[in-house]
Amino acid sequence: MNFGYLIFVAAHPDIDYLKLAYAAALSIKNTQREGYDKVALIINDKSLVDELKSPWVFDKVIEWPEQKFWDGRSWMDKVTPWEHTVCIDADMLFIRDYSHWIDYFIENTELYVANRAYTFRGEVVTSDAYRKAFTKNDLPNLYSMWTFFKKGSGEEFFELARQIFINPHEFKNLYLSNHTPKVIGTDEAFALSAKLLDIDSEIAYSLDFPKVVHLKPRIQNWPWDADCVTDQAGFYLKNDGSLKIGNYQQTDIVHYVEKDIITDELISMLEEIVWKKN
Amino acid sequence: MTRGVLIFAHNSPDVDYGLMATIAGGLAKKNLGVPVSLVTDLGTLAWLEESGTLIKAREVFDQIIEVDRPYTKNVRNLHDGFESKIIPFVNSNRYSVWELSPYDQTLLIDSDYLIFSNKLNEYWSVDAPVMMGHSMTDLTGERGGILDGRVSETGVHMFWATTVMFDKSAESEFFFKLVDFVKDNYVYYADLFRFNPKQFRNDIAFSVAKHIMNGFETEFAYTLPPILTVFDKDILHTVDNDRLTFLVSQLHDVASFWAATTQGTDVHIMNKQSIIRNANRLLELI
Repeated sequence: MNFGYLIFVAAHPDIDYLKLAYAAALSIKNTQREGYDKVALIINDKSLVDELKSPWVFDKVIEWPEQKFWDGRSWMDKVTPWEHTVCIDADMLFIRDYSHWIDYFIENTELYVANRAYTFRGEVVTSDAYRKAFTKNDLPNLYSMWTFFKKGSGEEFFELARQIFINPHEFKNLYLSNHTPKVIGTDEAFALSAKLLDIDSEIAYSLDFPKVVHLKPRIQNWPWDADCVTDQAGFYLKNDGSLKIGNYQQTDIVHYVEKDIITDELISMLEEIVWKKN
Repeated sequence: MTRGVLIFAHNSPDVDYGLMATIAGGLAKKNLGVPVSLVTDLGTLAWLEESGTLIKAREVFDQIIEVDRPYTKNVRNLHDGFESKIIPFVNSNRYSVWELSPYDQTLLIDSDYLIFSNKLNEYWSVDAPVMMGHSMTDLTGERGGILDGRVSETGVHMFWATTVMFDKSAESEFFFKLVDFVKDNYVYYADLFRFNPKQFRNDIAFSVAKHIMNGFETEFAYTLPPILTVFDKDILHTVDNDRLTFLVSQLHDVASFWAATTQGTDVHIMNKQSIIRNANRLLELI
């Protein structure tokens, strides 16, 4: 089996995306079964990886300077080194083994995009606080933060997403006029591509996985518009890799938004687990 | 295996919990067909006798279990329609139900929970050590606030200890010990779970214990049904067999009411005084 995760990072003036990707890769290595724990990193400057304490957590490092930050995700099908890939965002942490689901996807699908997000309490996110463009323009509720694909599949979908991404104004004017997003990100590009190709029910049907806890503050079902999650609920990673947010033990993939959650101390804890495991 | 209902009643100067427990116990016995026991204190028993309710209470209750009246500094603002009064609230010994209950399987209910159906009988056969009311449902379906559904705005789901069914397993024993621990360390847990510690609430202590016992996750698989609740700003107006008519305040602090009726439905009536005012009609049903 040739399966692996794919993470895009590039230099950013304020955020060390490589550090976030490193934490994600450490958490994958710590929790996923052998054979399901491979990680490929797409980065604009390969030499930065050598500065990490355990660069080997990235099984493949591919230098690809063509897009900045995480925007390159629309090219995931072109750059992946894996036969079967799950492309994830850099700011995600894996909490337990989800590899049985990978078997399901390999066996049953060629392209699948996450279409639900969860609060830290495990409730399905229903608020469109950050997704007005989706609800107002009747876009399928896709989240590119977890995208499974088989190499060579979904060519039309990815190509159209790239065109949307490259030509945002044209597509905004034509298809997103009810509520125009300031920026067309990968989520919007994927959703519009799926809608235009009329394949959303094929690539984003209802499943119990992936369950991704999306830590944006205004979708946590709090009675106020919080600016930041950690002002309201603590983020507690234990040295066995388990994570509690507020009073809730997390068992699903956690997609944090506040990048400063990933401190050096947290990295050290994840490194220690991976060192003991290997 | 023995099954029965248990009710706690500790009178306060303003509320005759003993009388309410007699009514609630009688209705539970009649509609569930299981024995009912009372946990109470000497002072409440003395008042039951003085007020003439003890004869009825002895008919209703399988056992009357006398315990020391717990010391309380707990107070609550109790409404009766739009009138309200701060009263002492004796509720801190509920955790002891595991030791006090004479039954292998016990349904613990509040003394203001009136059972008019046999719905809860469906739960005796569920293989779960402790089950609590899943949530609270306001009679109108519109007036519940976020703190009726969670222990705090950012906190965990609030189960309602108005109804609790449990067995005598080691797991349920641990659960009630944990409730006691949460009660004894209420301020600490208030800090941890972000709830207001001003008034001790069994609903909160039980919910926190359940959350901890479940590995800090919310588990809805084994719960009792939601508690149909009539707020204390509402008034129980008439009792006609199993048909109760309420004057329902439209919104909090708005001085107008509409009428609403329940029939053959278990109902949690938070306006204690309006139960007392209708005590004779309710006692006739037993």
